[in-house]
Amino acid sequence: MTRISVPTTARLPSTLRVDPTNPTATKILSRLSRSSLISVALDWLDENNLPLALPYLRENRGGYEDEDEDEDHDTGDFHPPARSPEALRELYTSLQARKGSKREVLDRITEGDWRHGLTLYQLAMADLQYLYDHPTSQKWSAYRITPLKPPRDPDGEEPPEVDDKSLTIPRFHPSTFLRTLQSHVLPDVKAHYNFDTHKTLPLLILRIFILDSPYNTEHALKTTTTTFNASRTIYIAFPDASPHLFLSKPTTTTTTPSLNPSLNPPNPNPNNTPLGETKSLHHLLLAGLPQALSNPLQRRRVTLQPTSLVTRNLAELVARRGGGRTNAAGGGWSVYADEGGGDGKGGKGVVGRETPLDLGLGARLGLGVGDGEREGEGGGGKRGVGGGGGEDVEERAAKRARLVARARFGGTGLVGDGKGVERVDVVVEDAFLGGEARRDGGGDDQVMEGNGEDGEDEEWRPRVKLTFHGSHVFAGIRQLVESGIIDGERMPGWMTGEEGVTVGAVRHGRIRGHKGSGL
Amino acid sequence: MSSNLDDEIEDLQTKISSLKKQLRIHTSTLITAPSTRQLLTKDTPASSSAPKTKHQQQQNSLLSDSADQQEAHTQECLYRACATLTTFRARDPDPCAVDAGAILGLRIEVISRARFLRPYYVLLNRPYLSADGSRRLRVHRHTLPACIPLAGLAARYLPPPAPATKEGSGGKKKQDLARFARAVRRDVVRYHNRLGVVADLRKAAGVGRDTGAEFGEEEQPNRLVNITAADSEVKQLTIEWADGRTGRLVMGNDGEIVKLVVLGENGRDREAARGLLGGAATAEDVVKRLAAASV
Repeated sequence: MTRISVPTTARLPSTLRVDPTNPTATKILSRLSRSSLISVALDWLDENNLPLALPYLRENRGGYEDEDEDEDHDTGDFHPPARSPEALRELYTSLQARKGSKREVLDRITEGDWRHGLTLYQLAMADLQYLYDHPTSQKWSAYRITPLKPPRDPDGEEPPEVDDKSLTIPRFHPSTFLRTLQSHVLPDVKAHYNFDTHKTLPLLILRIFILDSPYNTEHALKTTTTTFNASRTIYIAFPDASPHLFLSKPTTTTTTPSLNPSLNPPNPNPNNTPLGETKSLHHLLLAGLPQALSNPLQRRRVTLQPTSLVTRNLAELVARRGGGRTNAAGGGWSVYADEGGGDGKGGKGVVGRETPLDLGLGARLGLGVGDGEREGEGGGGKRGVGGGGGEDVEERAAKRARLVARARFGGTGLVGDGKGVERVDVVVEDAFLGGEARRDGGGDDQVMEGNGEDGEDEEWRPRVKLTFHGSHVFAGIRQLVESGIIDGERMPGWMTGEEGVTVGAVRHGRIRGHKGSGL
Repeated sequence: MSSNLDDEIEDLQTKISSLKKQLRIHTSTLITAPSTRQLLTKDTPASSSAPKTKHQQQQNSLLSDSADQQEAHTQECLYRACATLTTFRARDPDPCAVDAGAILGLRIEVISRARFLRPYYVLLNRPYLSADGSRRLRVHRHTLPACIPLAGLAARYLPPPAPATKEGSGGKKKQDLARFARAVRRDVVRYHNRLGVVADLRKAAGVGRDTGAEFGEEEQPNRLVNITAADSEVKQLTIEWADGRTGRLVMGNDGEIVKLVVLGENGRDREAARGLLGGAATAEDVVKRLAAASV
């Protein structure tokens, strides 16, 4: 340990120890549940992580020049230091087996086994564990990584243009990315970076912990307790095989999402007026990210484009902006993207489940083969009528509503699928009684209305803003369609969530963009 | 008890589905049989001579309809299997959809390991029809993976009309759906071929085979322990050797080897790179070499 603090541009090393009594450290640890706490501790004691998370052991006593050392723990120590990591591992495994309070484990960690300090690496692991335990604790916004045209003028003065004809898919290499990010972002601010692969989703999560100090020593960690708080933590998630990235929003500030970023021209330098300090950090990071992703050697520059998708649900983000087929085929179009994995709901006779070698057409023939519910290719049968019988009118209507819901939503918008967005903001910019603008809503969806007028045309265009709010907005709308409250056939397409946006403007009954939707 | 019942129900369910499948096969076989065809066509002119009940007539029309449908389906399957790039029409269920919801679909078949995979779809619409009568197409929805540069291809081959305000040169360009479809399909097939080559490489190098690991670890430091794609396009491969050397192989679009760098403990290990490639120009050659070496 160096006694002298020298300003440096290096990043914070993972082995840097934080005093366990530090409020941030306690906060990170104490919000974990008992079982997560124990499993995190066991992870720390794992062979691979041990060098970065050395516990306080009997042999090591006195090896650290911490100020904790001047307290004497030897006699009457409530948590006597263990002899070896193996012993500790056994101890925590036994703690796992038996019941007890969270406090007991927490005290054991902070006052016993890691009394000499928790490394930044440990804190990062604990923080990520919290993210896995509470997947909705962060609000993510999705950005697309788009290549830029090579600059034409040698001075590089004119703003770079998005190269929409480029065929290169931006590539991402974690360690190179980190190195360039470190050199581009905030030279006077130290950050600790930690990569982790998500446990269930195909994601690589980068946790950036920012410290407002030019020094990367323990002393800096101690003195800057005021700026050392959890709001300085930013997560970036990189979905596998997809040119997108998800950036977590700072949770402490109350952010009012700008209503229609999709309508603004793509801004390569999204450095707007920062409101708060965390926001400005966020913006600085946002400005540094494209540079870090660019490849100057191959003259390849990229920019980040917002994609109007903000949600707390990572699974939804992976489905809509990931590497799979469902990116641009949401709602009813998901029948085309369905991989044919038997999700009982729409698995039968659905488009193209069959290979061209399967000549059987039974389900679509009108010979009473197959069941009444059938769906023709491409939506000819999307309004398919169920096999009529001697059912009641209501029953038939209910069945029809169900079929319509399936045609409009496909395999999406199911309550239990875990891919729900919790908030959708839509501005309707259609003319009043334009024939296309309609408001449907009710049930658990709150509908808010704000009136404003801009009489640019002769028609009256009330400014209507809709906010859908719930645990799974589109599943709620689907349920309303299924129960016949919303007429599924006249419902505009943006209400099925097929665009994959949570913020948008509706014109001519269609969201985002004047000429229909698409890419 | 309940588990017994559940088992029974499950049993019956599987039986039902298999019976349904059989029924489907038999229906299509019967209805496409030449004799059935003959009967159906013979019946139609004869129906005037012999008076028939309404029910029979209905049955007949139903049967001939089904036969026609089946024939159309068979033809579609034939085209799909042979041409691997087919189009179809669809309807957008959105009541506010442009062009009354008319959709042109491209279906791209992918064959991998002697099997047809789930086809990829590109759905196009004509959003400019109402504005200026232009019949230009636009990509509406698609199911292509993110590693296919669809946006770039669409911008090249399906340019949108120029904005009405300025008569720029951008709008003069013609749209070329055939070239667009060909380009998309080529990229899809290349991507799947690269995926296949990686799988072949793994197989040829015996990656993931645990049998040799116990005794072969010490004797063969040259053994490859891992080959994985390092990027979304599967153009870069990470190669790991048993002794800790790592390599990065860069492939071109068609699997030709652009570059291979192997890093050992003392920097770059050119010998290992030469040993692996041995003058191979494409990834398939490397597969052959590895397969020959392992025999």
